[in-house]
Amino acid sequence: MEFGVVVEYFPRLLEGMLTTIELVLVSGLIGSLLALPIGLARHSHRWWLKAIPYGYIFFFRGTPLLVQIFLVYYGLAQFDAVKESALWPYLKEPYWCAIIAFSLNTAAYTAEILRGALGAIPKGEIEAARSIGMRQSKLYSRIMLPRAFGMLLPAYGNEIILMLKGSALASTITLLDLTGTARTIIARTYTPIEIFLAAGGLYLVMSMAVIYAFRQLEKRQNRHLQLSR
Amino acid sequence: MPENSAIWLKNIHKSYGDLEVLKGIDLQAHEHDVISIIGSSGSGKSTFLRCINLLENPTEGEIYITGEKLDLKRDGKSGDLDAVSQKQLAQLRSRVGFVFQNFNLWPHKTLLENVIEGPTQVLGKSRDEAIAHAEELLTKVGLLERKDFYPNQLSGGQQQRVAIARTLAMEPQVLLFDEPTSALDPELVGEVLNVMRDLAAEGRTMLIVTHEMTFAREVSNKVMFLHQGQVEEFGPPEQVFENPTSERCREFISSIF
Repeated sequence: MEFGVVVEYFPRLLEGMLTTIELVLVSGLIGSLLALPIGLARHSHRWWLKAIPYGYIFFFRGTPLLVQIFLVYYGLAQFDAVKESALWPYLKEPYWCAIIAFSLNTAAYTAEILRGALGAIPKGEIEAARSIGMRQSKLYSRIMLPRAFGMLLPAYGNEIILMLKGSALASTITLLDLTGTARTIIARTYTPIEIFLAAGGLYLVMSMAVIYAFRQLEKRQNRHLQLSR
Repeated sequence: MPENSAIWLKNIHKSYGDLEVLKGIDLQAHEHDVISIIGSSGSGKSTFLRCINLLENPTEGEIYITGEKLDLKRDGKSGDLDAVSQKQLAQLRSRVGFVFQNFNLWPHKTLLENVIEGPTQVLGKSRDEAIAHAEELLTKVGLLERKDFYPNQLSGGQQQRVAIARTLAMEPQVLLFDEPTSALDPELVGEVLNVMRDLAAEGRTMLIVTHEMTFAREVSNKVMFLHQGQVEEFGPPEQVFENPTSERCREFISSIF
């Protein structure tokens, strides 16, 4: 084994790691913004409001992320309308294709997590809000969403970690994320064990950082549960 | 209808599928009335109370709150009545305080935040004004020094007292209590009943679903005995507790005392 290559190429691996972090942060942010209306619609008791997000979630949870990435990256270019649109300069970039696929994918999972949390709020707390004359919008913004937020953190942290690892698939559409960078280095140096071990180590560091961040957030958000009498 | 009737309910029916839980109940509560609603479990008393502010949708009936009629329409799917206007419903609900069996405080908010939520978010009061009033109310229920605690740091009795303060913060014209002491350990019942006793003495209009017969007899000026979704006995406490005309009410009372 030749760990000298790890030292030599470490700066490049770190660069790839930055791209991975960027991919996860940007699509995580877009995904959670998308998840909010989707999750709310999913939680509605009106069937037609539920139906659209249901189909969306069904598709994105039921198909492989890789297929979704390919659909965006290779599929969109088939349509002339897309190629002529003002968005084409973005849509032809693998970076944005990955962001789009990841965002749509994580939005589906996150919406489902949000729906679960909204459904788990004790009915009485909602009745208490209704009984003082709160209207629907206030009920959600003041009581239900803050309450759901505290409950969904563990599941959402999990989703972020899954997405972090799933982001390695971005390398299949030529993106130089951590995995993509590792593969290019290996193509030159023929040291797969050393470089992949180093890349794996960096993924572990990122996962641990996510776990730690969510644990802190949970502690803060759910401090009302930890205090005892 | 008389000006001073705080709550007027006409012919309230409620069915769950084939099961008819309320079979046409009328009730008129005037200002300063304290009416206890008693009956064995399953008699429909909680359902009836919850119909007043539409936490439960009645199948039939009319509801007037502080003289204003709540406009109802039939919901095609459930077959029950629902408010025509959510705005009117919210408005009328804000005038009727509801105290729950399980307190239902918002656990992610401190006691003070629980109490000021309604005034600031529904009544549109300023935060300072709401806090000043909330501190008064928390003093009244004896929990001011705990205002920055979270609900689960309190005993059940304390939580219920905060829930009452939260309800009072809306300055409601009628207070509804749905078995407010039933979820409490026996030694905590007294502190909640004391708060309610004070409220009755202030002349507040109250409807109380309760199993605390001694309390009901002491504070209420009228008592309603429900049996299988119907009013079996209605009158002043002396009549209901000592001289009931209905055989079922007699049995119920004698089984308790």
